[in-house]
Amino acid sequence: MSHAPLSTLAYLPKAKKNMHTAHLIRAVTLALLIIGWEILARSGLLLRDVVPSLVTIIASMGKLIINPLFYSNLSITSFEVIMALAIGSVLGIICGIIIGSSAFLSAAFEPYIYYMSPTPRIIFFPVMIMWFGVGSPSKIALGALSCFFTMALSTADGMRQIDKVLIRVGRSFRASLWHMAIKIYLPAMRTPILNGIRLGFGTAVITALLAETKLSNQGLGFMIMQIYSRFDMPTLYALLIIVFILAGLGNAVLGALAGSQK
Amino acid sequence: MVDDACASSHQRNKNGGVNNLDRFIAPSFCHPLSHMSTQISSSPHLAHSRHDVLVVDNVFKQFGGPLAPVIAVDHVSFGVRQGEFVSVIGPSGCGKSTLFSIIGGLLTDYEGEVRIGKDRINGPHPAVGMVFQEESTFPWRNVIDNVAFPLELIGVAKSERMDRAHHFIKMVGLASFEKRMPSELSGGMRQRVSIARTLVSQPKILLMDEPFAALDEQTRLLLGDKITQIQQELNQTTLLITHNLTEAVQLSDRIVVMTYRPGRVKRIIDIDLPRPRTSDVVSSDAFGHYVAEIWSDLREEASRGMTESENSAAQVHAHG
Amino acid sequence: MHMANVMKNDRLIPMLCGALCVVGAFGVLELLLRFDIINRYIVPLPSDVLGAFGRIVVEEDVLARCRETAYEMGVSAILVILIGIPIGAVLYRFDSLRKALEDWIAALAAAPIVLAFPLFLVLFGRSSTTVIVMSIANGLAPIILKTTEGLMSTRPVLINVGKSLRLSQRQMFWSILFPSALPLIFTGIRLSWTFVLISVVGVEFLINLGGLGQLINDLAERYDMAGTYAAIGFVILVSVVFFVCLEHIERVMGRRA
Repeated sequence: MSHAPLSTLAYLPKAKKNMHTAHLIRAVTLALLIIGWEILARSGLLLRDVVPSLVTIIASMGKLIINPLFYSNLSITSFEVIMALAIGSVLGIICGIIIGSSAFLSAAFEPYIYYMSPTPRIIFFPVMIMWFGVGSPSKIALGALSCFFTMALSTADGMRQIDKVLIRVGRSFRASLWHMAIKIYLPAMRTPILNGIRLGFGTAVITALLAETKLSNQGLGFMIMQIYSRFDMPTLYALLIIVFILAGLGNAVLGALAGSQK
Repeated sequence: MVDDACASSHQRNKNGGVNNLDRFIAPSFCHPLSHMSTQISSSPHLAHSRHDVLVVDNVFKQFGGPLAPVIAVDHVSFGVRQGEFVSVIGPSGCGKSTLFSIIGGLLTDYEGEVRIGKDRINGPHPAVGMVFQEESTFPWRNVIDNVAFPLELIGVAKSERMDRAHHFIKMVGLASFEKRMPSELSGGMRQRVSIARTLVSQPKILLMDEPFAALDEQTRLLLGDKITQIQQELNQTTLLITHNLTEAVQLSDRIVVMTYRPGRVKRIIDIDLPRPRTSDVVSSDAFGHYVAEIWSDLREEASRGMTESENSAAQVHAHG
Repeated sequence: MHMANVMKNDRLIPMLCGALCVVGAFGVLELLLRFDIINRYIVPLPSDVLGAFGRIVVEEDVLARCRETAYEMGVSAILVILIGIPIGAVLYRFDSLRKALEDWIAALAAAPIVLAFPLFLVLFGRSSTTVIVMSIANGLAPIILKTTEGLMSTRPVLINVGKSLRLSQRQMFWSILFPSALPLIFTGIRLSWTFVLISVVGVEFLINLGGLGQLINDLAERYDMAGTYAAIGFVILVSVVFFVCLEHIERVMGRRA
C-alpha cells in the first residue's frame, strides 16, 4: 500500500458511489420507458394498436405461452437453428483448422472468407431455395452458411494464436494431421471455438428466423408473419419479445460456457 | 577550490545583495553544523526573499481517509527567484509529483499557500507553464501546430502564431522538423516539442516534472545543455522536479532536497558552479563534490523508501 | 488486423494460387454442368451468370438500383454518426450514466433487431424510411460503444496538458478528447457502416423494396437464375469494395495516433 502512487488513493471511494448511482439510473430509465410507453399507448396519438398498452401485450404473451402452436413452431425453428449451428460449425472448424495451420493457405483463401462475411447473407436465400426446396432444409442451409463464415474465421484466428511450442511438440512426435487436430489443435482452441459458436448461434437465429419470415409455412418466423398479416399488434409485440428473450438466454448461456473455459 | 566556492556563495545572489537565505543554506563544506538535517520549514518567513517569483508556503497535503492517512507533502516551503533554476530532488514516492501538481494548479485541495507574485494559486495559473513527465505532444498535430497550440487558444493571428512557434522550435533545435508528425520523432525530440510548446506562451515560471525520465543518459545530458542554454537566454525562472542527481546538479542554481514520505524539505543547497554551464561541467571536481554531498542526504531517504516497500511487499506476500 | 498484414505483405504467390483455385473451381463447375452431371435448373452455368451481369446492367438498370441503395445507405450512415457519436460523448461525460447503460447497449448490439421488421413496417409503412430506421438501429450500438471507449482511452497526460492550459470544457473536447479518440471512433464507424450496409440490402430484400436487395428478389421471383446469381454477385462485389475502403480509412486513421 505504501508503494501505490499517492494520486490514486484520492479516487478510491468514488467508485462505489458510482455503482449505486448506476443501478438507480437503470431503474429510472426502465421506469421512464414503461411509463412513456403506456402514455403513448393510451393517448391515441398513433394509429390504433400500433403502440398497444403493456397490459394487452402481457396478456398476449400469456396466451402465446399456453398456445400449442407456439411450441410446435418453436421446436421447428429450434431444430433449424441447432442443425444450422452444428453443420456450419463443424464445416467452419475444419476449414478454419486447415487454413489457420498454414500461412500459405491462409494467404491464399482466407481473404475470400474474410471479405465475404460482412455481406448480407440473407440474399443467398433464393439460391438455397433452389437447391433445397421451400422447407426447413433451405433455412438450415442458409443458417449453416452464416455460421460457417463466423466459425471459420474464429477458428483460423485461434489457430494462429496457438503457442507454436505445442505444434512443434506434436510434430516432434510425428503425429498425423488427424491426431494433431484432435489432440493438440482442438483442445488448445476451446475458447475461440466456443466464442465462435456463441456468435454463430446469434447469426443462425437471425438467419433462420428471417428466412422463415420470407418464405416458409412453419416456424416462428412464419408465425410472426401470420400475426403481422392479421395486424394483431399486441401478439406481434408479445412474440417478438419472447423471441428476443429466448435468443438472449441462448446467447448468455453460450457466453457463460465460453467464459468458463478460461 | 573549496574556499573559493565558499567565499563566492556569499556573493551569489543574482539580484545583488546577500539575503537572509544564504546564511541558512550555504553548501555543507562551509558550515560545520550543516550535516544536521535543517528543517527550513520551521521558519517559513525566513525561507523566502522579496525577489521570489514563486513562493511555496507551508504546503501540506494528505491522502487517504482518516483511517489510513498518507502524508505526501509535509509543510514544505521554499521560494524561487526571478531567473533562477531550482530543482526539487528526492527519492521515488516522496511526494515530488504531488508538489508538482499543486504548484501547477492541478491539485487544489491542500493546506498552505502557493503564490506567484501576489496571486494565490488555486487552479492552473497562466503564469505557470507545465512540462509533464510522460509524452504529451498531440499525435494528431505536426510539430509546429503542436507548439502553436497555446497561441491558438488565446486567438493569436495565424502568421504571428507560426512566427513565434518557429522561434521556439528553433530554440529547442528542431527547426528542420517543423512539418513532421510526432510519431516520426524520437522520444527526446518529442519532449523538446513539449518544452517549446510550453515556452511559446512565455510563462513566468517553467515547471517541469522529470521531463527526461524516459530518456537515455547521453540524450539527457545533451538536452540538459539545451535547457541550460534556453534558460539563460530567456532568463527563464524554472522549477524542475527530478530524481536524477547529476541532472539536478548540472542544471540548477539551487537544489531542494526532500525526505522520503512524508515529504519535507531536508535541505536546500546552493549550486555554485560557474555560468554559462555546459554538460562538460559533469567532469569537474566541484560537480563531483556536490553530487556526493547530495547523495549522502538522498541515500538515507532512498534506503528508507526501499526498506518500507520491501516490508509492505513481504506483508502482501505473507497474507496473499 | 491479420488481414491487413496479409494484404500488405508480398503474399502475391499464395494469393494468385488461391485465385486460380477459385477460378478453377468455377471452371470445373462449368464442365460438370455442360455435361449434365449437375442439374442446370438448380445451378446455372457460370458462363451464363457472367453474361447475365451485362444483362442486368442494361435491362434492370442496375445503376438506378445502386443509387437507390446508396441513398438509403448514405442517409443511414450519416444519421448513425450524427446520433451515435453525441450519445457516446454523453456517456463519456456522465460516468454513472455510462456504467448504467453501457451493458444494455452492448446487449442491444447482439439482439436480432432486424427480426422486428414487421413492427417497423407497421410503424413506418413500406418505404425507404423503414429500411433507414432499421439500418440505423442496427448500426447504432458499435459506434456509441467505440466513441465512449475512444474518449475514455485518452491518455491522462493529454488531459492534464489541457487543464494546465485552462481549456474550457468545449475546447477540451474538440482540441484534445475528440482528436485523441478519432482512431477508435473510426473503428466504430467501420463496424457500424458494415452493419448498416448489411441491414440496408437485407431489409430491401426482405420487404421487397428499394434498390439492389429488391433486384435480387425480383429476379428470383422471375426464376431468372442466372440473373439472380449475377445480382447476388454484384452485391457481394459492392460490399467487398465498400468494406475494403472502410478498412483502409480506418488503418490510415489509426496511424495518425
